Amino acid sequence: MRILLIEDNLPIANAVRAMLEARKFAVDVATDGVAGLDFLMRETYDAAVVDVVLPGKTGFDIVREARAESIHTPVLMLTARDAVEDRVHGLDAGADDYLIKPFVEEELIARVNALLRRGDKPISSVATAGKLTVDTGSREARYDGLALELGTTEFRLLEFLARNANIAFSRAQLLARVWDYDFEGSSNIVDVYVSQLRRKLRVAGGRDVIETVWGVGYKLTA
Amino acid sequence: MIARLTAVYVAIFAAVLAGISFYAYWLIGGQYRSLLAPALDTPEGQSGYHGAMDRVLVTIVAADVPVLIAVGLLAYFLARASLRPLFEAREREQQFAADAAHELRSPLATIATVAQAARIEADPATRAHLDTIAQTALDASALIGDLLTLAREPRPGLLQREPVDLSHVVTTCAREFDARAQAAGLELRVLASGAIVDGDERRLRELTRNLLENALRHAKRTIVLECGGDANAAYLRVRDDGAGIAPGLRQQLFQRFAGGDAGGHGLGLSIAHWIANAHDGQLELESGAGAPGACFVAKLPRLP
Repeated sequence: MRILLIEDNLPIANAVRAMLEARKFAVDVATDGVAGLDFLMRETYDAAVVDVVLPGKTGFDIVREARAESIHTPVLMLTARDAVEDRVHGLDAGADDYLIKPFVEEELIARVNALLRRGDKPISSVATAGKLTVDTGSREARYDGLALELGTTEFRLLEFLARNANIAFSRAQLLARVWDYDFEGSSNIVDVYVSQLRRKLRVAGGRDVIETVWGVGYKLTA
Repeated sequence: MIARLTAVYVAIFAAVLAGISFYAYWLIGGQYRSLLAPALDTPEGQSGYHGAMDRVLVTIVAADVPVLIAVGLLAYFLARASLRPLFEAREREQQFAADAAHELRSPLATIATVAQAARIEADPATRAHLDTIAQTALDASALIGDLLTLAREPRPGLLQREPVDLSHVVTTCAREFDARAQAAGLELRVLASGAIVDGDERRLRELTRNLLENALRHAKRTIVLECGGDANAAYLRVRDDGAGIAPGLRQQLFQRFAGGDAGGHGLGLSIAHWIANAHDGQLELESGAGAPGACFVAKLPRLP
């Protein structure tokens, strides 16, 4: 497994490299944004760990430009600030996950492994189902060409349903796959999100896109 | 704040204006009566007097309304001009706090990361020292983050809100704390029923964790973690069976560094309080009827 680390703070770069190499990953280090993007475009990596604040180009720019060039290497963003704007911004730019510095080593390894598992089966960044397209690269969802304004979880749910169109999922399955919960709870959180998605789809002209399958749950029809 | 100050200015002026107007009306009425004195007892005199007074009233009101509007506008601009330096100073202060926190956290991040990397190849004794270094740096960084949060007014704009099921928050946090509770010889009892709030899931977990941390330090045998909701509000409750909160401490319980008695840096409850407020909710200490220990309940607006 080969990992690209883009980090300008040398002590941290060396430390993170040591942590990753101890787990038998091969690590390339770039210490500025321009070199980092160059590495990411030219070489093939299984995952990239990218700092936000970098000389030359910010981490956000690197991810955005790489995604624009159809490079879908999973990216873990390292951010020094715990600001809402940073989180949203990073994920909107096309990063797959983010981690706030300082972090615990186990947390870093767990996140990197999660990215690698996700990267196992290469998937296209665009899921299409009927008139619906969901682009995880640009984080845009459209129905019949009309953009849908979606929150983070709404987007994930719609992406999952679009990728698995015409398959019915129970609420528990959706909670496990979209929310990462392996317990159901007693609320109707899934129904809340489905009805929000239906409302937004209806505004864009999509009726009965997400169907209720009695006794099972929901499916997206394409 | 501008609106409030404007309202105060206008209210004061309106009261003064009303006083002057009544006085003028009363004065003119007196003058008319003394002028019309002989004829005032006849019906013509009466109607003449009332007609004249009606016109006086209309004239006074017609003069008052534009004056009041003009004063309102003036008050608004005055309030805005006088408050602007205050807003700017507050903004600079917040920016300074954010910058200072960032500058302080960067070296701590280096310390924590390098110490954790160094322990990979260290012998057990050195490893323990490096763990202490890393943990201390992580704690200090978390403390700075908490202070930075508390320096800001709690408002929904600082949250990333989505519909969140409190029972998921509660179940996830209970799992995190289960091992620690068992190690401390405590039973962690969970009663989670679904309640959906418009919330920031990460923040709500932080709130729950902080309340559990507090309970873990004080409980003797049992901690009860509950959530649920009625028609209007969702609640999240953490109850312990410890010594409870001394009456003298209740007032400043949610203030910074108030409850740093048994371990903990005393910001956990302040942060929990901040998070509840930012969600347009409250965090309260519930006085259990005769039950020992402390019981904190966060009440949050429920999504319809």
